[in-house]
Amino acid sequence: MAAFQRSRVRGASLLLALAFLISACGAGATTAPIQTLAATPTVAPTLAPTATPAPAFPATITDDEGTAVTIAAEPQKIVALTPAATGTLFAIGAGNRVVGKVEDITPYPPAADNVPVVAKVAAVDIEKIVSFRTDLVIAGGLGFTPPAAITQLRNLHIPVIVLYANSIAQALTGIKAVGAATGRLAEATTLTASMQADVDRLSALTASLPEPKTFYEIDATTDIYTIPADSLWSDMLMRAGANPVTTGSSYVISLEQVIAANPEVILLGDGGYTKPADVIARPGWSGIKAVVDKKIFPVDDTLVTRPGPRLVEGLKSLIAALHPEVAL
Amino acid sequence: MPTHVGILAPRPHRWAALPVARRPVVVAAIGIGLLAVALVAGIAAGSVAIAPGDTLGILGRRLLGLNIVPTWSVAEETIVMDLRLPRVLTAMVVGGGLAVAGAAFQGILRNPLADPYVLGTASGAALGAAVAVIIPVRTLILQFGLIHALAFGGALVSVFVVYRLSRVGASAPMTSLLLTGYAVGSLLAAGLAMAMYLSGTGLRQIFSYLLGGFEASSWGRLAVAAPLIALASLAILLRARSLNGMLLGEEAASHLGIDVRRERAILMALASLATAAAVAISGLIGFVGLVAPHVTRLLVGPNARIVLPLAALLGASLMVGADLVARLLGEIPVGVVTAVIGAPFFLAVLRRARSGYEL
Repeated sequence: MAAFQRSRVRGASLLLALAFLISACGAGATTAPIQTLAATPTVAPTLAPTATPAPAFPATITDDEGTAVTIAAEPQKIVALTPAATGTLFAIGAGNRVVGKVEDITPYPPAADNVPVVAKVAAVDIEKIVSFRTDLVIAGGLGFTPPAAITQLRNLHIPVIVLYANSIAQALTGIKAVGAATGRLAEATTLTASMQADVDRLSALTASLPEPKTFYEIDATTDIYTIPADSLWSDMLMRAGANPVTTGSSYVISLEQVIAANPEVILLGDGGYTKPADVIARPGWSGIKAVVDKKIFPVDDTLVTRPGPRLVEGLKSLIAALHPEVAL
Repeated sequence: MPTHVGILAPRPHRWAALPVARRPVVVAAIGIGLLAVALVAGIAAGSVAIAPGDTLGILGRRLLGLNIVPTWSVAEETIVMDLRLPRVLTAMVVGGGLAVAGAAFQGILRNPLADPYVLGTASGAALGAAVAVIIPVRTLILQFGLIHALAFGGALVSVFVVYRLSRVGASAPMTSLLLTGYAVGSLLAAGLAMAMYLSGTGLRQIFSYLLGGFEASSWGRLAVAAPLIALASLAILLRARSLNGMLLGEEAASHLGIDVRRERAILMALASLATAAAVAISGLIGFVGLVAPHVTRLLVGPNARIVLPLAALLGASLMVGADLVARLLGEIPVGVVTAVIGAPFFLAVLRRARSGYEL
């Protein structure tokens, strides 16, 4: 028993490191295809046949987990449990109604600086959320927000919308869902239309260019972590004109696989901690083409992986690293 | 909690001067006092400050039906009634249940290192919970999800398997049980490691289950788990005579007219039931089930009839207190707190015990 617990703790601490890492990057990717769960914001049909704008509430939003969430009236006290939700709420003009947010190591936007923190990575302060008389919570799916906290909030009759994104399209649908839930659907639609236009324009710029085989490193402190296929990361990389090295569904990749893939470019999502010189110095990495050509670039992971209003910025940063010749 | 150490483990000469027959009464009084303090503090304190008068008003109005004019907000009432109250009560029931189960396992196995998790309940529950996280089903029945159901089932099934396997070998029943428990536990731990490896983004959910905690407590869950834990604990208490007999050894017990095999099986089933219900709603919280029975025995002697209820009191107070500390420090894992509070407390009592202590 003792041995079981010892080994469990040791293994668990390593695994926890990964969990923090993945969660710190935003609810990014999944192990399973999710096409069936795409968010479909549906505004309840209105009875008033008129020239005045249709009342947006009560509204029923189907979130990314397939839960139909009914919101009785326009929410006035909103809690954002993902950094992307904080960004989105402020971007669509609902920022003044945000009463609480998740702790964020790279806070955005600055306007949200004074919003009280009601959740840290693993712990959501339900008492605080209740004490604010919160009437809408935007939470992260795929385990980003602890499922137990979501259940508890719903038991307390606080509407919770759970969002995540494994593609740019899903990120945009999520932004519209936030808009529909907060009475800001028009603003959200304007935002997503402009983001879609930017994404289309940027990917057109890279469409005819050669696609360098690209290894996106999430972390390599112990094991090497990279991106799964069918994730927001891989979608962003492909739109930026890269051919990403992916793992299938897991995050872990062996050094042998990295060497065999022989990427032409290495992007460091952990650029805050790992420098290109560190990669060059790693034993076994010296033969990789990107290392030989010194094509190793840090990127801001929070721009690339948060399904919020700054995805276009993230896409631009990827293109700048992959195709510096392209004028943005 | 250093002051509590001073209260519960007085200087040897004073404790030794106390007539042995009076000790349980004193310990019970202190235990009830501790539990009351822990419960009150647990309801009064939290991340949101609520005036003590308002807290009392909410409790009086909602629990006693007093006609008090609310001076508090609806949100404060929700926090006290739907968050804090079910939480402290869950911690109390789980702490008490684990202490009784621990005392029972220590008696059945005549092993001082036995705890409620020793025969595979912990690894079975952990594997069940991990599998539940991997299976993409989100149904909730009576506020119970797949994770609770599979943790409960996993704990019971693994004990049953350990029990059946241990009866096959030729070695002495207790040694066989312990070794089988260890072997099955190791196998399940391997399954758990594999499940964690495969779980991807569900990893954090599995990990937080392994650490245990009460932040997800609710009336619905308490209403299902509390009767199970209470009934199993009561049934164990009614079999205190068998436990006392087993402490004398198998042969002596059968001379006393105790059907050792049968009683051992029944006690194991009851203790496992209490443990499974506890781990299903609160995850794997260590230490309380190991230490509470020992501290009680050190203070009042080995008679199970006295040890079981007092251990339950002590376990309940320790758990409620530990959960409060965990909450005030920003929802740190309660298992960390039980160990940090419990280990020095245990050592202090152990060092002050005058006569040799043996299970």
